[in-house]
Amino acid sequence: MQSFIAAHKSRLGLVSLEAPLIANLAVWSNIALIRQYHENMPWHEARAFTEALLHRLGMASIMDKRNPALTSEERFCAMLLRASLVRDAIVVFDKPFGILTNLRDGCFIMENLRKLDDLIAETHIFDYNWEKERYGGWDGTES
Amino acid sequence: MVQKVEFKVGLFIIVATLLIMASIGYVAYKKGFFSKVYTYTLSSNTAENLTEGMPVVFWGFNIGQVSSMELTERGVLIHIKIPERNNRVIRANSKFVLDKPLFGTSRIIVTTDNLNDPPLSPKVFPEITVSNDINELIKKVQPIAEKLDRIGASVATLTANLADPQGEVTRILKNVETVTAHFSKKESLLEMAVGTKESVKSIQDILSNVNGLTVRMDGILKRVDTLAGKSDEEIYGRDGVFPLVRNILRDLLAKLAKIDATLDNINQISVEAVDSTKDLKILRNSLDETVTAIGTLVDQLDRIIPFQDKPGIKLP
Amino acid sequence: MIAAIENIGRFTLDTSLSLRNTLTFAIQVIIRLLNLRTYNSASRMVFINQFYFTSVQILPLFLFVAVIFGSLVNGMAFQVIKNLGLYDYLGRLLMGFVVTEVAPFVTVLLIALRSSSAINAEIAVMKVNRELNMLDTFNIDPINYLFVPRIINGMLSMVLLSSLFSLVVLAIGLFVSSAVFGTSVDAYNDTVLQAASLLDIVIVLFKCATFGFFITLIPIRLGLSASMELTSIPVVVLGGMVKVFLSIVVIEVLSLIIRFI
Repeated sequence: MQSFIAAHKSRLGLVSLEAPLIANLAVWSNIALIRQYHENMPWHEARAFTEALLHRLGMASIMDKRNPALTSEERFCAMLLRASLVRDAIVVFDKPFGILTNLRDGCFIMENLRKLDDLIAETHIFDYNWEKERYGGWDGTES
Repeated sequence: MVQKVEFKVGLFIIVATLLIMASIGYVAYKKGFFSKVYTYTLSSNTAENLTEGMPVVFWGFNIGQVSSMELTERGVLIHIKIPERNNRVIRANSKFVLDKPLFGTSRIIVTTDNLNDPPLSPKVFPEITVSNDINELIKKVQPIAEKLDRIGASVATLTANLADPQGEVTRILKNVETVTAHFSKKESLLEMAVGTKESVKSIQDILSNVNGLTVRMDGILKRVDTLAGKSDEEIYGRDGVFPLVRNILRDLLAKLAKIDATLDNINQISVEAVDSTKDLKILRNSLDETVTAIGTLVDQLDRIIPFQDKPGIKLP
Repeated sequence: MIAAIENIGRFTLDTSLSLRNTLTFAIQVIIRLLNLRTYNSASRMVFINQFYFTSVQILPLFLFVAVIFGSLVNGMAFQVIKNLGLYDYLGRLLMGFVVTEVAPFVTVLLIALRSSSAINAEIAVMKVNRELNMLDTFNIDPINYLFVPRIINGMLSMVLLSSLFSLVVLAIGLFVSSAVFGTSVDAYNDTVLQAASLLDIVIVLFKCATFGFFITLIPIRLGLSASMELTSIPVVVLGGMVKVFLSIVVIEVLSLIIRFI
């Protein structure tokens, strides 16, 4: 995984416990940060854009919440949105069930990925082999 | 929330910046930063004590400053900058004096006799004259210092005299003590009463000695008198030399007065002692002279001392 | 004996290494400060938030301190001046002591106590929580995004707050002066203006900016030196604050030397 990340660093959108949300920023600031920093998007525009995306995921209520106040699903969605805002994002999930501790399968992940399909160029999931069944009939290489 | 924060931050920055800019602008304006500045050139044969930035003063007000200096064939040229509002005091007849005060920085003082004179031409280079406070002060201080030196020497003599066990004042006191001791002894009185020549001569010798010493004391005090009004706490203070001398002399006077009274008594009780009467008269005269001499000295001292009710340290 | 010598040597080496690291970091930050590409919407937001917490939130307390301090200093100093008959030195006292020395010092103490400690802890917590790693993952330079806005905030806050402090004290000086000496506004203005020098004002503003630079840079650098353990946070905050105070003393001494050369 490390070599993959290094190879795609410029377009990388990592969803991992190793890349947490910034604790003293609201969810929308965490997500908007990517566009604000890389594209100098004005904050009000970035906020509106983020709000629309959160609506798409049905998570508009978490806009102004901070990381410690989120459930695992809300945290996952925020991380996914942040990753998908990278231009031509190559979204990489690093052991997503480490974040979504109370989910039994990958349907939730799949469902949210579909909603953000227009923003994401590629998706890669890195997880342990024994978690393979939780992803159902997904295609993929083992690692 | 962000909008509210942005507004507050923006408002604070604008208000604070405006306040600061206004303050700095006000200072700059008052300092003549924005006004038109006239440059004049002064000449001097030396750049000593002249520095760039040195103030130019007129009637105690800073009206400009030295902007630059240059060394040329005709001496040192000093360029001064005067803001427009102060320019009216620089006239053709203006004189420029380099003032070097004892304390503080040097400055160029401008004096203009007639403010209606034509303005000073920038092509004219008036010469700076030097007013050196320090040198002038030293000139004034020198005689005072010499006087102080003499005062110091005299005071040293006086104090040495008072402290020295062999000194004149101490000897006066010792002699007077001897006289009073003689008189207090019954035997001596009896001898005098019967006209023993040795006893009378002894007292006469002592008193003439006292008289001589008093004359010398008079000499010392005459020297002291020349110091009047020029000394300090050590001379005039509560524990100073003058009050000390005065007290000693008062004490001496009191003791001699006692001798006077004793002699009166002796005169009364020894009317029959004809042989001794002549000697007693001589003794009485000597005593009177001594008392008068010392009394005069005390008066002289009293005359000097009352003027020093509030002793203070006098600086030149 | 040998151990003592070793300790001295270790202390000297550690201090010089720390100083070198701080200066290297300072140069890095200054280069970024001067680069326009550093500034973007995200760093602006960080700056606004930081400035709000450092300057705007503290403003009522700060003004209160300035009023109390100004009244006390002016009251005492003016009484002494009056007793000694040194009215001519009133302007020099206000401009040469209160404006150039006291105002920056009180301001830097207030900001260091409130904001430097917070920045130190914040950066250390971000390091422990791997939030700094996250920034690197998303190609966000922490110097541009986190450090430069905080340092600009420190510099600007110091300059503005110190100037406000001076203005408040000078305004109180006017009241006290008229009460103690019975001076008019014009006479007071003249006295203060006579003592005011634009060069001194520039030096003071530069000193304030330098204070602001170092009282934010040092906590950031010390915060970055935290390990991945939570227990390292108080340790780096402690070390950071001690170094902040040392830097305040050093800058104060240097500014005095520069002013009186």
